[in-house]
Amino acid sequence: METVLWDRIQFAFTIMFHYLFPIVTMGLAPFIAAFRLRAAFAGDTVADRAARLWTRIFAINFAAGVVTGIPMEFQFGTNWAAFSGRTGSVIGQPLAMESVFAFFGESVFLGALLYGRRILTPKLHAASAVVVWLCSWMSGYFIVVTNAWMQHPVGYTLGRDGTVLLTNMPAVLLSSFAWWQFLHVITGAILAGGFIVAAAGAFYLLAERDLDIAPAFLRSGIIVAFVFSALAVFPTGDRNGANVTTYQPVKLAAMEGLFRSEKGAPLAILGMPDTARRRLLDPLEVPDVLSFLAYGNFRANVAGLAAYPRSLWPPVALTYYAYHVMVGLGTAFVAVGALGVLLLWRGYLFRARWFWWIALLTVPFPMIANEAGWVTAEVGRQPWIVYGLIRTSEGISPTVVAGETVFTLIGFAGVYLLLGILYLFVVLREILNGPDVRPHANAPGVTAPV
Amino acid sequence: MSVAAFCVLGVLLSGYVVLDGYDLGMASILLFVARSGDERQSARNAIAPFWNGNEVFLVAAGASLFAFFPQVYASSFSGFYLPFMVVLWLLMGRGIAFEIREMIENALWHAFWDVAFSLSSLGLVVLFGIALGNIVRGVPLQQGGYFLGLFGFLFNGYAFAVALLAVLALCQHGAAYLIVRTKGTVAERSRRAAIRLFPAVAAWWAIVSISTFFVRSPATFGAPPAIAAGAAVALGSLIAFRIAVGRQRHRGAFVASACFLAGLLLSAAGTIFPYLLPGFPDPRTGLDIYRTSGPPAAMTTALTVTVLALVLLAGYRTFLARKLTSRGT
Repeated sequence: METVLWDRIQFAFTIMFHYLFPIVTMGLAPFIAAFRLRAAFAGDTVADRAARLWTRIFAINFAAGVVTGIPMEFQFGTNWAAFSGRTGSVIGQPLAMESVFAFFGESVFLGALLYGRRILTPKLHAASAVVVWLCSWMSGYFIVVTNAWMQHPVGYTLGRDGTVLLTNMPAVLLSSFAWWQFLHVITGAILAGGFIVAAAGAFYLLAERDLDIAPAFLRSGIIVAFVFSALAVFPTGDRNGANVTTYQPVKLAAMEGLFRSEKGAPLAILGMPDTARRRLLDPLEVPDVLSFLAYGNFRANVAGLAAYPRSLWPPVALTYYAYHVMVGLGTAFVAVGALGVLLLWRGYLFRARWFWWIALLTVPFPMIANEAGWVTAEVGRQPWIVYGLIRTSEGISPTVVAGETVFTLIGFAGVYLLLGILYLFVVLREILNGPDVRPHANAPGVTAPV
Repeated sequence: MSVAAFCVLGVLLSGYVVLDGYDLGMASILLFVARSGDERQSARNAIAPFWNGNEVFLVAAGASLFAFFPQVYASSFSGFYLPFMVVLWLLMGRGIAFEIREMIENALWHAFWDVAFSLSSLGLVVLFGIALGNIVRGVPLQQGGYFLGLFGFLFNGYAFAVALLAVLALCQHGAAYLIVRTKGTVAERSRRAAIRLFPAVAAWWAIVSISTFFVRSPATFGAPPAIAAGAAVALGSLIAFRIAVGRQRHRGAFVASACFLAGLLLSAAGTIFPYLLPGFPDPRTGLDIYRTSGPPAAMTTALTVTVLALVLLAGYRTFLARKLTSRGT
């Protein structure tokens, strides 16, 4: 038990740190492609400068994502060998597809995007930006397919020794669980990208600099943030909820803090789950709404945690809080986005200094919401590593003991502290330097990047 | 199908060694061939656009192993737990050192991170060499196919010999790269380094090859024709390398160095075939490609995917390289 807990903590820590970077790359990639296309086809110099700034920031995130992503792939084998050995014929596939399609393409075309501005034709340069965008999303898709299979396994049979044998790869790739999860993940990343671009615009407006480019950032960022915040709630959030209701009803009960099964179950807005006494403390509830959201009927019966044996419960409090943080922040994003779009529509956006502050200060919260969503999905999946098929405790490496995992966890914490400081330093420096070119590698013989 | 998968894995791993090999090797000799700040800068610029993309091959090789032979992936990654974690930290430390150096314009700061970059790269080459040496020699697999790769077992004479060969060969490879991609004193020093490394590489390669016959019985060599072919390619390429360097045919020398590495790996693959993780002391107690391969659907999918992706990669890499160099300076 102790070993499995440390393995889980290590995986959670390294994946949550890693995921900060893909949020940014998946969220910024469409902006870069859009700016590049505008520069290439409309000859827009503001879009060209915008694309250069965001490409530099993208490249930093890509490098940090690769560096922190390699340990994720290693960990399947190092810490979760039994799981990997049993399920590798399925989950090895999307992971291999990710590296040979998405990573190869992304790294090569990112090189072209970074170093090719003066060498390639503008159209080919813009095409590189589009390929980088598609590859970054493809990467996300293959990872979500892997996770979705662990949430809802399909397309396999069991061998005699309990090994999972792949039978139908298209079923794994096209599972509706995977698609809705992917669309939700990607809307989460785009809304984060929108808020980041808007915040950069707000920062330049507040600092009274780069005023030719700042309004474009604030305008495009806030529109995208609003649209995708709304899409994150409906339909993608809603459809994910429906999949959880169908395939993982215990997770749903934990997310909502619903201990007793109820006809006309209430939706808890606030409250603290007390697992020992099996009730929600100090609740603020809206009657009947959970039944409606889950089944489209205000009187429908929603199964509570008590309907399941205790051994099948996920950690209730963590699942509940993570879910409520995600939903609460998601609602706030819709409100901030709507306010920004309203101001833009009424022509006040570029005079409303107070809103620039809101846009600037919003920037860390999409990261938190994205991470909280994953905590809901993954902690809520417990005690299963493959839902209904393999328990998490059966998945760990038979030869690795808790002490080793604790030791390496501390090692990761140290390296990631250094990496985190470096990352903030570099990204803030790029934002402070602004959109105009500042040769980075300025020695003879090499073309300066972007 | 299992044999095809074994070959695809070999291609991906060779791709990693040839490509990341030059930036690892270049980093290992960086402190000697580039001394002033400007020299180091120009040497670093020679790999700046590429090193990250080269590391992707390691990820691809790992993921393909996972897709083709899950049990080998699970057993080797968990068995080499601590060494693999050290590899991870060195990979990260190397990336951090490379990128953080540019942050502050200060000579001491630059010097510190150059040393960190060089040493972490050298450490990686040593660890990869130790890993390869132990795979050729075999690991003590227990029932169920798992093992515990403790440092006491992994640190043996043969593994160190392979590690030294890896260091020498990749330093030579890195030097060959720098001759092509830099100018002036750095290129000149790299050329001299390549000339001086050549006899050491040749002699040490002969010693390692002979000692392979002592760490495992020649009767257990899986594919002698592949070993012979690999050795022939390596020998021919090594001679071609020395001639090309002497005649200042630098691109040719780099290609020859790449072929030398590929030849070495081919003969190593021929030695362990059909085992991916041979046992110790008897290699035949190891994990082979037939018993550990996935179900047919998995093998077909992964083979199609990797071959298609490699063809695509070759296509767009060539296309972009041509576009990037045709009109550039």
